[in-house]
Amino acid sequence: MTRYFLSLAYPAEVWADASESDRATMHQAHLDFDAAARQRTTIVAGEALASTDTATTVRHVGGRAQLTAGPFAESAEVVGGFYLIDADNLDVVVELCDLLPHSYAIEIRPVVRVEGFDHT
Amino acid sequence: MTALERVVREEWGRLVALLLAQFRRLDLVEDALADAVATAHTRWPQDGEPDNPSAWLVTAARRRILDRLRAEAMAARKEPLLTVEAEHRTREGVMADAGEVVDDDLLRLVLMCAHPALPPEGASALSLRLVMGISTADVARLFLVPETTMAARITRAKKKIVTAGIPFTIPGREAIGERLDVVGHTAYLAFTAGYAPGSGPDLLRAELAGEAIRLARVADALHPTPALGNLIALMTLQHSRRDARVAADGTLVLLPDQDRSLWHHDEIAEALAFLEATRPGTSALAQSYRLQAQIAAEHATSPSPDATRWDRIASLYAVLEQVSPSPAVRVARAVAVAEADGPRAGLALLEDLDLPGHRLPAVRGELLARVGDVASSREHFASAIALCDNEVERAHLSSRLSALA
Repeated sequence: MTRYFLSLAYPAEVWADASESDRATMHQAHLDFDAAARQRTTIVAGEALASTDTATTVRHVGGRAQLTAGPFAESAEVVGGFYLIDADNLDVVVELCDLLPHSYAIEIRPVVRVEGFDHT
Repeated sequence: MTALERVVREEWGRLVALLLAQFRRLDLVEDALADAVATAHTRWPQDGEPDNPSAWLVTAARRRILDRLRAEAMAARKEPLLTVEAEHRTREGVMADAGEVVDDDLLRLVLMCAHPALPPEGASALSLRLVMGISTADVARLFLVPETTMAARITRAKKKIVTAGIPFTIPGREAIGERLDVVGHTAYLAFTAGYAPGSGPDLLRAELAGEAIRLARVADALHPTPALGNLIALMTLQHSRRDARVAADGTLVLLPDQDRSLWHHDEIAEALAFLEATRPGTSALAQSYRLQAQIAAEHATSPSPDATRWDRIASLYAVLEQVSPSPAVRVARAVAVAEADGPRAGLALLEDLDLPGHRLPAVRGELLARVGDVASSREHFASAIALCDNEVERAHLSSRLSALA
């Protein structure tokens, strides 16, 4: 069993410019993913994130915190949500990703377990 | 070939698969098997070859893995439950030494090494190492990188399999076709590496390229697909010319100048039979392999360069360009059309074409020379020479340039 962090990225306009029915379709995709993932994996967490113009990035420069408005990397694709799931293997995760909106790029990263450090 | 060399060459993948099925520890299996081979290397000449060399190696490798598992259990100060469990499974594993179960395990191994989540060059190297038992030094030589670089690449691929949870399984009917396409691509990448322009002449690399054909054949024997079958025919036909491609002094011999008696005609016959027996397939990939194999077959069955059916080759390239359009295919088609219909018809197909590397200016230079435009021909040959990083090909281009009076 491996724990996977899935970050869901898409061009900002995919959500911002989506019609009501497009949004409903995307919402349904997440419900389908959730239902299927519960059958085959354990969903540890999963959230949608507010738009990147609400993000604050902290960097320390010369020991002092410097805040900048916006995400740490400006790019065409923005991270709009995440899932944290426990699955048997990568193929299971990849198959489940097929249920999520196909406009997404989904980065699947295995989580490193650090002994004595478990927040879930 | 000694019994040990034969067993490593023919059984390595099966032995890795068998041990992996039992222990599921990719990090231990390869080292344990390599250790067992090293031990056999000193022991067998003294003690005599065992009756069943594969079984001897598996037993020796199992012992090493169990030693490591015990050591790990001790280090973790746990009851050695894992070890007991693994030892228990050893007895079951013996029954799986022959038969279908092992074939399935080998297919699992092939698919794991060529998983699409691995970088293609890592998958290719790992497949040659784990499925075919090629030494890291030889894999490095094939891909023209230092051995340490290749060792690191193989280690990274193995680490990704373990960390990312790439499974040792056979996917369902829907997914397996695509996965075997990746296996084919992985083999083809290794094959073309053997013929890729290198820093110098190296005949051994061509022999190593043959191992890529064996990899595709292993996959095809376990689960045949049109893409794999057509790819095997293509690679076998290309490979059959290896001894005629390079002259004794290391210079490249082009197709029309090759001594056709040096071609491996038994392999050509085998490839043609394979092509005959393989379905064309419906995917663009399978069709593209098949068309390339049919083009190679036209050359392979032509008794002399003059007898080459360039008209048929030009038509096959025209279809290939529809199935998988690319500037490289266009250049190859232009060469065939120039042979069939004259250099002007070939040059017309190259107008406004853009392709990085030396191939396009080399072909333009050749066709311009044939229409008598010596000045433009010189220019193109000169830029081809500047762009070419392969010794033998550059020598050929230079001799063409100096032949232009």
